Amino acid sequence: MKWLRLSAYLAGIGCSLLAAWWLFPGKTTEAGVTAPPSQKWIPSLSETEEFCRFDHPEWRRAQTIEGVEIAADPECRPDNPYLIAAVVKGTNRVTMPTLMKTRLAMDAVVKENDRDGDGDPDVIHIRLEVGELNGSTPDGDFLIPGYRIAPGLTPGLWVFVPKMRGMATVDAVNLDAAPLLRAPSPPIRVEQGDTVYLTLENTHYLPHTIHLHGVDHPYRQADGQGNDGVPITSEKPLLPGERRTYIIRPRRAGTMLYHCHVQTDKHMLMGLQGLFIVEENRPDNWLQTFNVGGGKVRHPSRAVREKYAQEYDLHYQSLDKERYRPIQEYNDPRLVAKGMNRDYDITDNEEDFFLLNGRAFPYTLRDSLIVVEPEQKILLRVVNGHPHTLALHLHGHKATAIAADGVPLAQPVTRDVHALAPAQRLDLVLDTHDDGLHSFGQGIWLMHDHAEKSVTSDGVGPGGDIGLVVYRQYLGDDGIPKLQGMDLTPFFNLGMFQRQIPLWARSDAWEIFSDTGPLPPDTLRVILSGISLGLALGLTWACWRRWRQPS
Amino acid sequence: MIRPVLLILFLWLPVAAFPGHRMDMDSMVMNENPTRLPQGCAGIAGDRTITVRAGRKYAKPFPGVVFAYDQRSWEVPPCTRLTVRFINEDHIRHQFMVHGLPPDLYPMGMFTIEVSGPGEETASFILPPYKKTYLVHCDIAQHTEHGMKAQLKVAGGDGDLASLPGLTKPVRPDRYPTRWTGRSLLLLALALVTGAALVWLGRWLIRAMTEDQP
Repeated sequence: MKWLRLSAYLAGIGCSLLAAWWLFPGKTTEAGVTAPPSQKWIPSLSETEEFCRFDHPEWRRAQTIEGVEIAADPECRPDNPYLIAAVVKGTNRVTMPTLMKTRLAMDAVVKENDRDGDGDPDVIHIRLEVGELNGSTPDGDFLIPGYRIAPGLTPGLWVFVPKMRGMATVDAVNLDAAPLLRAPSPPIRVEQGDTVYLTLENTHYLPHTIHLHGVDHPYRQADGQGNDGVPITSEKPLLPGERRTYIIRPRRAGTMLYHCHVQTDKHMLMGLQGLFIVEENRPDNWLQTFNVGGGKVRHPSRAVREKYAQEYDLHYQSLDKERYRPIQEYNDPRLVAKGMNRDYDITDNEEDFFLLNGRAFPYTLRDSLIVVEPEQKILLRVVNGHPHTLALHLHGHKATAIAADGVPLAQPVTRDVHALAPAQRLDLVLDTHDDGLHSFGQGIWLMHDHAEKSVTSDGVGPGGDIGLVVYRQYLGDDGIPKLQGMDLTPFFNLGMFQRQIPLWARSDAWEIFSDTGPLPPDTLRVILSGISLGLALGLTWACWRRWRQPS
Repeated sequence: MIRPVLLILFLWLPVAAFPGHRMDMDSMVMNENPTRLPQGCAGIAGDRTITVRAGRKYAKPFPGVVFAYDQRSWEVPPCTRLTVRFINEDHIRHQFMVHGLPPDLYPMGMFTIEVSGPGEETASFILPPYKKTYLVHCDIAQHTEHGMKAQLKVAGGDGDLASLPGLTKPVRPDRYPTRWTGRSLLLLALALVTGAALVWLGRWLIRAMTEDQP
């Protein structure tokens, strides 16, 4: 009898607890007729960068340095004109004071021997190193050398770099990467028929090579050394501390590519890829051998100047968090190699960051603007470094593709979305004649990959590879476009792409889109669950008393 | 007459603009200082020459290290004029870069020798009088992090730097997979027996204290 009573008590307690649990208000509550009011929360924007802070505004104007004419570049952060003078004349020919303003090594670009007597050098020695950006260090929880693609975003990258001298960082205190050490791997320009000695000095801790994709080059050199940069066919990978020289004499002009051919699904997509442009042969044709950071070419070749008012290099590429994770997690190269080569699986992963000329929006507005005047023809050399198709879309214009992969198109194609397969290059002509087809008139026009994930940074948008075509009258003297859209201040906050700042935090609509306040729990549920819990406690107490009484 | 003067001016100007700095295709020296005394030094206490070799092969004794110097720690007395013969045995750039020197004599507190490829360069600098450990490293991207790091102690130094291959631990060491060995399993078994014995000992003591005395 005692056991029967006990069973009944326990069943009652169980049912009551079950009911209390079921009726108890959950983590969310359904609103009644009126939704809860907005939270009176103003996001802190204290850690916000200025749109354009730049110490050398004088670099923007047109100038001549050591006889090298350098076109104006009125955007916020133009290229260092001394660097341009040094790579046009050659680091062996430029004076020491100019070279000292560049951080280039003296043998980074050696130009000599005007073989054909046409006034320009025909034997060019180019030296590249391999640099890691935002890698780990055994000396603490920070990344070095630091490189931000956008405020607060420091993905791991590898880049080919013109051979440098001195520190990899800005200085001994500022651990950000030196200006030369940046993405993308620099566009390289050589002249058709030049003998080019391209030396890779492997300053990195993993093996690399250079493959001259689409550039006329022999498979082997005269001494039998491989010249194609492919570890499974032509040569062994170049180990840390070693160097190798690739020798070419390209017969055809065009927009080509160079990239590391070691584990291309990792190394090339980590950033070891750059434009390689063979310019048409002309007399007195001194080329800007490196266009560090891509973007405007401030000293275009003779052939380009004959046909176009301006020339820009546009390098699109993307990064996968899982791919670069090992270089930020480990110091030991064995762990990095295993993490990349055996643990990482590109078929299981998606790209997270999308770059135009090494930066993501809003930094693209600082140094990757295309600044135009009306009635110009502008040459855009575009490369798709993504592992997916690039759908390049220009607002307000229909650009004309005149060449693909360095080969002129028999029939030029005018459209507003140009598709580029991975590794493909297109030569596009941007025509700013306001004729309703090529241009719709002056303004600030967006330019981006229309594969929409590409306009985000780790899924936060707008970000990614958004760039702008800005007509000159819409650009301030300080290099800031005269925008009339939303306030971009939150995009320069370090928390924006960490999802800490609401997108419309500074818009007029903030009151509408602010975070919501809480709702009180549903009254009926509170009452019923309370009664059920009380029943369970009462039954427990009674059961305990009964159990202790002698039968 | 004017041409030789102009030529001398042309050659002299870069030197005047960048004192202590020299550079050619193969190497670069920044902030060389064989004569000017740091504050607190009455004179040069002595001359010392070290030969420092840099290259991948010096990393081989240390697993997980890629680039290294052949030595990773030096000690010199205060006010020593130190001459560094820096030999690069790789086909890429390496540096011998010292930080923390007095900025009035050494801009940014640095003294640097950089050798562009296989080869060597020699330069001197004078160390201050106080007890201090100076960071020596190669600042090419990730070379320090992968082993090319050393320390220079003056008057015994004020401690050791972290992450010196074979000498000191990293601040943030990597983690590796665990694998049990026979020795570690034996240690575990011993620890278990010891723990059980301690419990038995405790119970025995309590019983001994609470039992009625005859």
